Formats: sequence, C-alpha cells, structure tokens
Amino acid sequence: MVAVIKKNAKALQESLFSSVGSSVLTIGTTYLVLNFFRGMFGFVMSSDKDWLAVLNNMQLYMVQAYPESDFIRVWVSVGLTFVFSGISIGLWRSEDRSNVSSIFDTFFKIGLGVLFFTIVAPTFTSYMGNDGSVITEEIFSRSTRLGILIPTLIATVAFFGLKNMKINFSYNNSDVVFLYLFIPVALLWFVKLPVIQLDQNKERIMPDPLMPIANTTKIPWSVIFVMFLIAYFIGIYFKDVKRLKNVMSISWFLLPLLIFSWIFKKPQIDMGEVLTGDIPIFFIFFIIGLVTVLFINNPIVKKYYSIYLGIILVGTIAGIFIGIPMLAKACLLLLSLFSMVVPAVSTSDQGKRSLIIIWFVALVTLTFLLRGGASETGIVVPGSSIFGGFSLTWLLAIFGTYVSFPLGVLLALGRNSKLPIVRIICTGIIELVRSVPYITWLFFASVTLAVFLPAGVEFNLIVRVLMVTAFFSGAYFAENIRGGLQSIPKGQYEAADAIGMSPFQKTGLIVLPQALRAVIPTLVSSAITAFKDSSLVTIIGLFDFLTIGKTVIDNQSVPVNFVGHQRENLIFVAVVYWIFTFTLSRRSMKVEKRLGLGER
Amino acid sequence: MSIIQAKDVKKWFGDFQALKGISMEIAEGEVLVICGPSGSGKSTFIRCINRLEQHQDGEIIVDGTELTNDLKNIETIRAEVGMVFQSFNLFPHLTVMQNITLAPIWVRKKSRSDSEEKAMELLNRVGIPEQADKYPGQLSGGQQQRVAIARALAMDPKIMLFDEPTSALDPEMIKEVLDAMKELAKSGMTMIVVTHEMGFAKEVADRVMLFDEGMMVEENTPDEFFDNPKNDRTKLFLSQIL
Ligand SMILES: Nc1ncnc2c1ncn2[C@@H]1O[C@H](COP(=O)(O)OP(=O)(O)O)[C@@H](O)[C@H]1O
Ligand SMILES: [Mg+2]
Repeated sequence: MVAVIKKNAKALQESLFSSVGSSVLTIGTTYLVLNFFRGMFGFVMSSDKDWLAVLNNMQLYMVQAYPESDFIRVWVSVGLTFVFSGISIGLWRSEDRSNVSSIFDTFFKIGLGVLFFTIVAPTFTSYMGNDGSVITEEIFSRSTRLGILIPTLIATVAFFGLKNMKINFSYNNSDVVFLYLFIPVALLWFVKLPVIQLDQNKERIMPDPLMPIANTTKIPWSVIFVMFLIAYFIGIYFKDVKRLKNVMSISWFLLPLLIFSWIFKKPQIDMGEVLTGDIPIFFIFFIIGLVTVLFINNPIVKKYYSIYLGIILVGTIAGIFIGIPMLAKACLLLLSLFSMVVPAVSTSDQGKRSLIIIWFVALVTLTFLLRGGASETGIVVPGSSIFGGFSLTWLLAIFGTYVSFPLGVLLALGRNSKLPIVRIICTGIIELVRSVPYITWLFFASVTLAVFLPAGVEFNLIVRVLMVTAFFSGAYFAENIRGGLQSIPKGQYEAADAIGMSPFQKTGLIVLPQALRAVIPTLVSSAITAFKDSSLVTIIGLFDFLTIGKTVIDNQSVPVNFVGHQRENLIFVAVVYWIFTFTLSRRSMKVEKRLGLGER
Repeated sequence: MSIIQAKDVKKWFGDFQALKGISMEIAEGEVLVICGPSGSGKSTFIRCINRLEQHQDGEIIVDGTELTNDLKNIETIRAEVGMVFQSFNLFPHLTVMQNITLAPIWVRKKSRSDSEEKAMELLNRVGIPEQADKYPGQLSGGQQQRVAIARALAMDPKIMLFDEPTSALDPEMIKEVLDAMKELAKSGMTMIVVTHEMGFAKEVADRVMLFDEGMMVEENTPDEFFDNPKNDRTKLFLSQIL
C-alpha cells in the first residue's frame, strides 16, 4: 500500500513539478481554478439567487408554449429517439471491455476532486443588497463541510483500495450505457425537490416545500427507460442480420423528419387532398420508376437513356417553377436522382428487385412526410411557433447536421466533378453561402426568401430557417469534406480502377469512406458550431433554448416574479450547452479511435 | 495465339513523348519481364494495357478486345487484367479480407460467402491466411504486397501486371513477394513484370525486354539478355545495375 502511494506521488511530482517552468504553471493554474471555483460557489450558494427560477421553468425550457394537452406527442418523440438509440447501441455493440478497476479509478479521482473542493470552498460570501449595502452571509457551515468531508474521505480511501486490488472482472462497455439513463430516472422517483407553492393570498410559501417530482415526468421517463432497455436487447438480438444497420442508419435520418412533420406537428389531414392528389401522384411516379428499372438495360431502350435522363432533369428544374403540387416536385427530384443510379444497378434480377423495393419505400416515405409537413398544424400556440425552447434548438441542431451533411457531401463531390456545369454550380453555391454571415441568411429566411420562392410555394418560418441552415452548414461541411477528398492519394483511385470498379462504387466504397474518416474532427466541430449557432435564431423572433433563459423567464412576473434572475438561468443554459457539446466531442474521439484502426 | 497485341503504341504527356511506338505480342501463359532505366516509359506502357493511361496512337488488343474509349470495353478489360502496384495501394479503411472480396462482390456480383471462401484460398496461396482480419496498416510491406497480389487474383484475371512490385520493400521482404510471384508464374498465369530483380527474370521469365527513352531497345530470352546482349544500351544498363 505504501509503495503504491509512493509511486503515485512520484508520478504526480514528475508530471506537475518536473521543472521550474512546469511548477510555475501548475501553481498558477491551481490559483486561477481555485479562485474561479470559490467565486462561482459563492455565487451559486448566496441566498439572493433563486434557483427555482430555473428548476420550476423546465417545461418552458423544453417546449416553451406547447400545450399540455398534447404533451403525449412530446413524450412519443423523446421515446422514439431513445428506442432508436437503444436499438443502435445494441446493433453496433462493440466488443470493447473495461475492467472494473477503471471505474474505481474514476470514482477515486472524483473523490479526490470533491475532497479538494470541499476543503477550499469559502465559508462566507458577500453580495450587494437591494439598498446598496454589502450583505455577508454564511453559505457553507463547518458542520456541513465535515458532513461532506468525512464520508467522502472514507469512500475515496475505499475506492483507492479497491482499484489497487486488481479485481479481475471486466464488462462490455456498451452494456453499461443504460446507467446513464437509469440513474437520473431513479433519482426522479426518490429525490424531493423544492417546488414553488402559493398560499391563499397568492404569496409564495417560504421556504419552498420539498416535493417529489410530479408524475408528469416520473412515469413517462420510466416507461422510456424500460423501452430503451428492451430496444437495446432487440438490437443485440438482431446484431447479425444483414442490412439492418443500413436500415437503421436511414431510419435515423428519417426520424427527425417524422417528428417534425407528424408527431410534433399534429397535422390536420384533408382526406380529399390525399385521395385526389397524393395517391394518384404516388402511383404515376411509382409506375414510371418501375418501367425505368425493368427496361432501361434493354439494348434498344438504352440508346435513348440520355434523352430520357435529360427530359427528367429538365422536368425537375421546370417543375420547381410551375404550379404543380409540392409532392410532384419532390417526386420529380427523387426520380432524377433515382434514374441516375438505375442503369448501373439494374443489371441482375436481384438488383432490379431491390431497386423496386427501394423506390416503393422511398416514395411512400416521401408522400407520407410531405403530407404531414404540408398540412395545417392542429396545435394551437398563441403568438409563436410550435417549436420553442430546447425542442427548437434540438431541431435546428439536428437539421444543421443531418440534412446539411449529405448536402455537404454532394456539394463537395460536385465541386470536384469533371463536368464543368456541375462544378460551377456547386462552387457557386458554396462560395455564395459562405461569403454571407449566418445572421444575414436568417434575415433572408424570415424576410426575403418568400419573394424568391416560386408563386404558390409557402413555407412557415421554421422551415425557411431550416432551409438556410441546411445550406449554410452544408457549405462548410462541403469545404471540410473537399479537404478530405484531396487528401486521398492517387493510388487509391488507380487501385479501384484496376479492379474494375465503376465510378459510383469508387466514390461510395473507396473515396468517401476515407475522406470522411480523415475529416471527422473537423466535421464534429462544424456540428458543434451548428448546435451553438442555432441560438442566433432569436434575432428573427424564434424562442430557442437560450432565449427562454435570457428573456422569457426574466420577464415572467405571474404567478411568481422571476424578474432579475437572469444570471441563474444563463448559467444553467451554459451548463446544458456544455454537457451536449462535451459529450459530442468525447463520443467523436471514441469513434475516431475505433476507426483509427484502418489508418496506415 | 497471343493474348496481348500492341502495335506501334504512342503516348504523349503534353509535348513530351513517353512512348515512341511500342510493338509486341505476348502469348497466353507467357512471363515477360520489362526492365530499363527510370523514366523510360515502362510504367506508362503497362498502365496503357489496362487503360489507367490512354495511348494516343497505335492499337492495343487484349484478349480479342481492342482498347478504345468505349466504357464497356474498359470494364471488360479491367476485370480480366489484374494489377499490382509499387506502392501496394491497398484500401487502408478495409480489412485484408474486405480488400480482397470487394471487387468479387461489387464488380463480379458474387455472393459474400463464396468470395470469402475464395479469398481465404488466395491468402493461403500467398502464405498469410492468419492476417485476414487485420487492417493493411498493421501488416509489413511484404505482407501488404502479397495481399495486393491476392486482391488482384480474386477477380480471376487472365493477365497480371506488376509494376516494380518489390521496389518499395526492405530487402528481407523481397523474397517472400518474389516467391508468391514465382508460384503464380508456374501455375501458368500470363504475366508482365516490370522489375530489376534479375534473379527473378532469369528463373521464371520467358522473355526479357529493355525499354529506353520510350522505345523497346532489346527483346531477348533471359539467358541471351544477361549473358550476351545485342544492344549497347543493354550492356550499359546491365553494368549499372549488376
Ligand atoms: N502523368 C504524367 N504526366 C506527365 N509526365 C508523365 C506522367 N507520367 C509519366 N510521365 C513521364 O513519362 C516518362 C515515363 O514515365 P514512367 O512510365 O513512369 O517511367 P518508368 O516507369 O520507366 O520509370 C517520364 O519521363 C515521366 O516523367
Ligand atoms: Mg515506373
């Protein structure tokens, strides 16, 4: 035991005080961190702060003005996301194992941290009272300090002992993921939190009574947790089923669209439009696709392929500007993409069969999503959009990456294309989008975009914002990916050519996977930027997560007056942003490591 | 019946003429070694045979198909001609097994299980069956080059092209790659090998050619080529490398 401590102490000395320079750095940083912590602790604990301004406004933070009667829709959205996560974690369950001693090591370090900060935490704090006098109060009494110190010390020593016992027990890293959800959900059941209660005179009862969190969150979260766990096992069970991973990846892509156009939105469906519009359009396009798949490789028909493709492309572009239903425009676009892939794949019966299935599923999905997206919403939110608070931030972040990422890939490939027209268009889009600030694009979306869109096309503000966001992040993604494309040695293209791969296969199987891998870190930082930049939408009158904390709650005086409690809310907002971005960058580091195997 | 026929093949890079009229025929099962000083057009010529480079004049006929810009022809040829590069050019993001099965699955549209079975056979043949699940970056140069040979063979090519397959290898690894190539030659594969490994040329080549400044200056049997060269440039070249 003594030897172990000595060894650790020596390692510590070597890493922190190896030279004069590093000693100065160590002491300087410690001093800064210490002061920051003491200031922050005093700020958080002082009695003029009302943290219930944060805690009791969770609903506002999450969904803003979304009506309570439709909360089930919010829960379904959250639940589906967790079910998808569960299945994916199961499907992609890694075989990486960790030893328990690494957990003990983590706990030991946490214990050390808690001990340190408990010791250095200030006993008193001062703040400016309403009348301008300085008020000093005790925030961390000696008994509280001891009450934390002693059990922590015991636990820390225990963990130190455990970690050095070299217990030979390892677990699969994926199997403990459920703990991340289990612990908060369990806490919901057992922890009582202060809740604002008013007496007969509508005065706030002080001190705030402690209550368990109401069933409104406890029960749904528990259900979600159970479904998450079941989904995880389903994922493991189907781990080896071919293609399921591909299906899952595409489903992830569709999930936000589904949430956006159906679940959150509660569309009011006009059956007349479905019967006379959607269904006929669906059948027309399905049959065109079917005929294309079946006959395109017929030697006689094949001669006219380029004419056929030309007609469809012209039709797609013309379709944007003439008054045909939205669904028809989208189908035309899909058909033009589809027709480019068909000849290469429909060479065998098996290829034809899967093409037809893909075409059918894609059309059904498109029709379904567009019907939901184009219909009036049944949710009544006075004065603002149905997305607000975290739901809006999340939506923008997801679209900022999900939609813009494939768009970025296409733009990057287009910019590297051999066809001059494609190259010019893609370069033009990228340069135009990047040379104008995001805020300008937001104003463009809110004020100008309607003028540019062809007559008869009308989107609500959020859709317009999503469109400019997709292009904006897409342009940045494109430039990153282009960098990755350029980093691929010529030999890779030649090797792919030499084994007879088609240009599509070369791009999809050799070039893109390597290019994307090379730029994961930059892609993640772009995604993080997109997530944070979403708070700029406040400028065009949308209520994102930050706006709730900064403006909405601070202006709230009924039933409880929260005016003047902006700082608590801003700290909370910052912490939430930090948790998400930090998790994202940590995950990407893991992914990088795993993919790093394939590097030279 | 010759499997490759080249007639007066010419190739320019801009103003620079890299090939100044190369003509040759190679019979099925023949092993041809090409050597020559650096920059003499050896790589350019064999890359023309599977159309990684396009010749501008003359004609190349591979297994009855003339090389033109017709995409269909190019794909047919590439499926029949395997190529091994100086710098291996394995796909670093795929395992050895995936590297080998990629083309059979996607280009030949074979089933995964058949392709994997075949891949294991080939790995056995080049002597590294135990490396199937590793990534190229985890292998030595000699092992990587043998994987590259297996990858080319997975397409069941009729012809194999080697462009200085051992030049990027440490001396102790050259032998293992040459052994794999010798075994291949003995199995009756038609091979064109650009190499300066004279031992290999003497042992397995049916003919040896010398390229210089875009021209073929000597064509001979290995014995004659090394012991009794006709051309002065061959003598000079041999004196430089031996
Ligand atoms: N892509 C290219 N562009 C311009 N010149 C080239 C290119 N490839 C090869 N060359 C030139 O053609 C000549 C022959 O090259 P190469 O066939 O690679 O020679 P070798 O393989 O015999 O060393 C060299 O002078 C080289 O510089
Ligand atoms: Mg060369």
